[in-house]
Amino acid sequence: MIKLQNVEKVYRTSSIETLALNNINLDVKKGEFVSIMGPSGCGKSTLLNIMGLLDEPSKGSIEVGGIKVTNYRDKELARLRNEKLGFIFQSFHLINDLSVIDNVEIPLLYRDSTLKERRELARQALEQVGLSNRMKHFPKQLSGGQKQRVAIARAIVGKPDIILADEPTGNLDSAMGNEILTILQNLNEEGATIVMVTHDDAMAKRTHRLIRLFDGTQVL
Amino acid sequence: MLRHLFKLIWNKKGSHSLLIIEIWASFMVLFGVLSLIVYNVSNYVQPIGFEYERVWNLQLSNNQDTVGVSDKMHRIVQQIKSNKEVESLSRMSSNSPFSANQMMNGVTYKKVSISPEFFYTDENFSKTLGLPVVAGKWFTESDRVSKFTPIVINSKLKEVLFANENPLGKVIKVDDKKSFKVVGLVDKFKSKGEFASDSPALFEMLSKDDTWSTNVLIKTKAGVDANFEAKLVKEVAATLPGWGIEVSYLTEQRKNRHNLTLVPVTIFLIVSGFLLTNVALGLFGILNLNIAKRKNEIGLRRAMGATESGVTTQFLGEIWVLAALSVLIGLLFAIQFPIIHVFDMKANIYITAIVIAIVLIFIIVTLCAWWPSRQASRIHPAIALHEE
Repeated sequence: MIKLQNVEKVYRTSSIETLALNNINLDVKKGEFVSIMGPSGCGKSTLLNIMGLLDEPSKGSIEVGGIKVTNYRDKELARLRNEKLGFIFQSFHLINDLSVIDNVEIPLLYRDSTLKERRELARQALEQVGLSNRMKHFPKQLSGGQKQRVAIARAIVGKPDIILADEPTGNLDSAMGNEILTILQNLNEEGATIVMVTHDDAMAKRTHRLIRLFDGTQVL
Repeated sequence: MLRHLFKLIWNKKGSHSLLIIEIWASFMVLFGVLSLIVYNVSNYVQPIGFEYERVWNLQLSNNQDTVGVSDKMHRIVQQIKSNKEVESLSRMSSNSPFSANQMMNGVTYKKVSISPEFFYTDENFSKTLGLPVVAGKWFTESDRVSKFTPIVINSKLKEVLFANENPLGKVIKVDDKKSFKVVGLVDKFKSKGEFASDSPALFEMLSKDDTWSTNVLIKTKAGVDANFEAKLVKEVAATLPGWGIEVSYLTEQRKNRHNLTLVPVTIFLIVSGFLLTNVALGLFGILNLNIAKRKNEIGLRRAMGATESGVTTQFLGEIWVLAALSVLIGLLFAIQFPIIHVFDMKANIYITAIVIAIVLIFIIVTLCAWWPSRQASRIHPAIALHEE
C-alpha cells in the first residue's frame, strides 16, 4: 500500500545540514496496522509526513496505493492525499470556529460532492466513532478524547485506503488512549491500512508490526 | 465551498465585525466621492451649447449715475459695435456665462410651474454666443409689437413645461400681469460651465428702458488682442465718466468656474485616497496576522486535499464574503439616495457610483488579500501542522 525505497531526507540551512532520514526502505501491505517508534527527534514524524505526501524526500522514491508519486505536481499530490489518505494528529487540529460535523466534512469539500452527500457521509463517520450526538457542538465544548474521535471521523469520512496517525493518543490519558486505539483497531479490521507513530510500547504492541527508528535510520 | 466560507465567517462574526465596519465605511466614502465625480463627469460630457472663444464680457456699473442709464447703455453699445475689431455684441443681465450670479423666477403653463433661470438680453445674443436656435427664431425688435413679451427657451424648460407639445407660439404666465410668448427654442445652454447641469433657461427680450442689464458680451474678430481691450476701456471711460468698467474673457471665466468644481473634488479625492490607503494597509496587516494565526488550519487543509491555489482562493473567498457583507450593509444606505432623489440628482448617477464603488471595493480587498493569501498557500503543510 505504501512503498518507500532508499528514502533520505536532509534539512539544509545556510550553515548546517541535518540528516533526518537515512536510506529508509519500507513496504506497508494492504490491511496492515503498523506502528513507528523511536526517541524524540529520530525522524518518526518526518517519515509519516513523507508517507502522507506532506513532505518530499531528498532522495528515493515513494509509492502510495500502487502509484509512484515521484515528480507529482501539487494538484496531483493534493488529490492523492484527499482520496487515498486520512490523517490523525496528536493535537487534533480541529477548526474551533466550525461545528463538529463541519469539521468532519472538510476533506469532502475538496472533491466533487453535494451538500447532502457530505452531510450523510459526515454523519456516518461520526456514528462510527460514537459521536453522532455531538454533531452541532463546537470543538471547545468537547473533551480531548472526543476531539480525537472527531479527528478520526474526519480522517475516515472520505473512505481513504490508508490512515496515518501521528501520536493519536499522545495528548490523552490512558483510558481515552485505549478507547482511540480500539477505534483504530476496528477500522483496521474493517480494511483500513494504518500507520501510527507512537511513544507508547503498549499501544505499539497492539499493532501488527513495529518499525523502530534511531537517528533517522530504521533499526527494526 | 461558498457555504463553508459563509459559515466560517459567520461563526467568527465577532472578530470580523470591525473589519466589516472598516470596509463598509470605505464603501460609503467611495460612494460619496464617486457620486460627485460621476455627476460632474456626466455633466462634462454634455455639450455646453454655446461658443465662448473670443468673447469678452464688459461689465459696466453706473455707480451713482442714475440719469438716462438706458440711453447711455444704448449709445455705448452702438459705439462699441462701430469698432472694426468687433464681430458681434449683445447686452445682457448680470448672470452672464460663467458668472456666479443667478436670476430665477417662476413661470406657469397649464398648472405646471417651474423656476427657470432668466437671461435678459437682446436680439444679438444668439449670434454673439453662437447659440443655435433649433426651432422658431431668436427674438428681434419687430417682436416688441406683440401683445406678449417674446422669449426663447431651452430644451430642458420645454421638456418640463410642454413635454411633447410644440412650444412655439405657446403663452406662459409669470403672474397675472405678465405673460410670455415662446418664439424660439435652443438646445442646451449651460451658462455655469461644462460641470454644471443643463438646467431650464428662459431668454427674455430686454425692454427698451432697461437700466439693470449692463453687461455687454463682445465677440471679437480673430487676432484681436489686448491693445483693443485698452482702447475699448479708454473709449468707454470717456463716454461714461464715473462708471465702473471691467473686462474679462469668457475663456478665463470658464477656467475659474472649472476650478470651483475641480478644487473641492480634488480635495475629496486626496482625502478619500488617504483614507482608502489606510484602510488597505489595515486590511493587509489584519489579513497577514490572521494567516499567521491560522497556519495549523492551512496545514490541515493541505493535508485534507487542498491545493496551493485552493488555499489562496479560500482566503480570497473569505475576504470577498466579508466585502460582500459590508457592501450589502452599505447598499441599504446608498440605495436610499436614488430612491428619494437626494440633492435632486438623477438616479442613474447614484447607481453608477454604487456599481463603481462595489468594483473598487472588491479590487482593493483583492489586492490587499492577494499577497497574504499567496503566502499562506506557500506554507509547507508539514511545517504548518507542527507549528503551535
